[in-house]
Amino acid sequence: MENLNNFQLLEYAAWGISALLGLWMLTDMIRTNRAHSEETLLSSKEGEIEDSLVIDPPHQGGHL
Amino acid sequence: MAKTPYQPPQQSKFGQFVDSLFLLVLVLAALFLPVYFGLAGGGKTTLNLPDASWADLGQNATMAQQWEKLGYTPQTAHELIATRFDYSFSLPALLITAFVVIAYFWLVFRWSAKEYKDVIAERFDR
Amino acid sequence: MTQYTAVHGEKVSLLRVLGPGHVWALGVGIVLVGEYMGWNFAVGKGGALAALIACWAAGMLYTCVAMIDSEVTSTVAAAGGQYAQAKHIVGPLMAFNVGLFLVFAYTMLEAANAITLGYLVQTVGGMAGFADTHDKPFIVLTIMFLAFLNYRGVYATLTFNLVITAIAFVAILILFAAVSPWTDNVLKPHELLNGLPYGWLGVLAAMHFGMWYYLGIEGTTQAAEEVRSPARALPLGTMTGIITLLIAATMTWYICSGLMPWEYLGQAVTPLFDAARLTGSTPLMVLLFVGTIFSTLASANGCINDASRAWFSMGRDRYLPQVFGAVHPKYRTPFRSIVFLVPVALVFAYFAPLDQVITFSILSGLLEYTFMAFNVLMFRKMWPLGTIKRGYVHPFHPLPAFVLLALCATTYFAVFLGYGTQLVAMMVFYIIASVWFAGHRYKFVKRGAQFTMPWPRPVGH
Repeated sequence: MENLNNFQLLEYAAWGISALLGLWMLTDMIRTNRAHSEETLLSSKEGEIEDSLVIDPPHQGGHL
Repeated sequence: MAKTPYQPPQQSKFGQFVDSLFLLVLVLAALFLPVYFGLAGGGKTTLNLPDASWADLGQNATMAQQWEKLGYTPQTAHELIATRFDYSFSLPALLITAFVVIAYFWLVFRWSAKEYKDVIAERFDR
Repeated sequence: MTQYTAVHGEKVSLLRVLGPGHVWALGVGIVLVGEYMGWNFAVGKGGALAALIACWAAGMLYTCVAMIDSEVTSTVAAAGGQYAQAKHIVGPLMAFNVGLFLVFAYTMLEAANAITLGYLVQTVGGMAGFADTHDKPFIVLTIMFLAFLNYRGVYATLTFNLVITAIAFVAILILFAAVSPWTDNVLKPHELLNGLPYGWLGVLAAMHFGMWYYLGIEGTTQAAEEVRSPARALPLGTMTGIITLLIAATMTWYICSGLMPWEYLGQAVTPLFDAARLTGSTPLMVLLFVGTIFSTLASANGCINDASRAWFSMGRDRYLPQVFGAVHPKYRTPFRSIVFLVPVALVFAYFAPLDQVITFSILSGLLEYTFMAFNVLMFRKMWPLGTIKRGYVHPFHPLPAFVLLALCATTYFAVFLGYGTQLVAMMVFYIIASVWFAGHRYKFVKRGAQFTMPWPRPVGH
């Protein structure tokens, strides 16, 4: 390990963390796709501005 | 006149995959083809300047001082100072480019207007 | 930050949690990096004074953009921003093109940011005495980390952006104060400015990179479905954003052109960091290094946010494969779009040269602004004032639209000087994509249902 300096360690750490984050997103995406029906996942509709003025933060649900 | 709304076909998973791939390939082609054929980048010319001193390079005392603070000598700065853009262009190339841009917008607006008619008819004629 | 898992009647939508501050952070965050790198290529194309003229001319272009955008988007408040505007005002094919402009302008900008950040970390590693350093791991980490943040929720993402953008902006203010611009102790504009080395043609050419001072401010509209009151927050955030940028851009120009000969400034990778180096103060150097890193992070972060919103809304309308219209039930983000765009950004950041990536981004932006000028003219004609409720009405109509068109035409010419081939390659790309959409893709799109705004029938249709 003579020629492995600190900066190289930093580089390996960056590769490692990148891989972990990527893996996490992939597994979460696959699990989410399995856990919910396609209908639920695709149920978002384009919002209407008047509607949004009425429902402020406390109401977080989806709306037509 | 009541129009029956247009019912789009369901696209298969495979079809969706092919469409995503097509767009991806198209984007990569648009970016890398000019690079690949070496067509990218502006024309440059080099001024013929001696590089013995800052004065030869047209730099006054203040400029020379800042160059030195940035770690340059007249020799290492020579290339930076002498390289200039070449803005000469051919009129036909300009006209062709202008034509392409205008034609593009004209066609997109025309075709959109055609499609928009259906959208409005279906939305408001019911 | 608590994430809500509210799912009402089997419906999930994006989460309305953002305020005007977040909108400001989204707009300015994307753009502020332009002050830290990139704008100075305008100096190379025409000299320092040309860059200042371009800075203000482009500032005018973007003030028009911000005013027009504020009016239209305070009315068409939907994720996808200009894409949704085009869909309601011009028509489907234009909307498809605008959606692509947005996605590519932002994804390319994201790649450019990652490249710059990687370069800076590599440089600092080299300065610290390490041999054989690489930028690639940091490029990849930047993109992966920010995609992860975006995946996990919009509130944390944009609050993070608010903090780092504010720090990067304050860093410019501190540097400006530190060089005491009211004296000529540090800044020597009299001795360093040298007129117009390329004449007035250089001023035109400088417009190409003059855009870089502000490119991306129009991205505020992408947050429309996630702000608490879009009609108020979007115009407020956008307008304060453009004001912030005009101030930052002018200060940046004044500092840099008072410190560096134009031949150096015109090709510097990190001009503000270099300016700090020239002051000889270590704290300032550290501050501007942090500012540069933060501004690239904030920008890439906002770009992922905006590009994925645009891709998502096109998927939702089936302009693109419908799978992309999915919302994560727990994090309430367009998660599939975010993940899909990661490899695209990686490919560009990893393999493409920086100036290509920047030019691709600028050109997509330019096409978008051209569209916006026509868009607002049609909008006022089809729904005159008073027929629908507008959150903001921009003054002097139709003057801003015509000014915008004139400035766009100038900028096309500026890009043509030097990057004509890319311009044509881009046009070919959009033409092929349009033919594909009109001939193949549009059959999957519902017709009347894509018009979602509660407006009356447009005048003349």
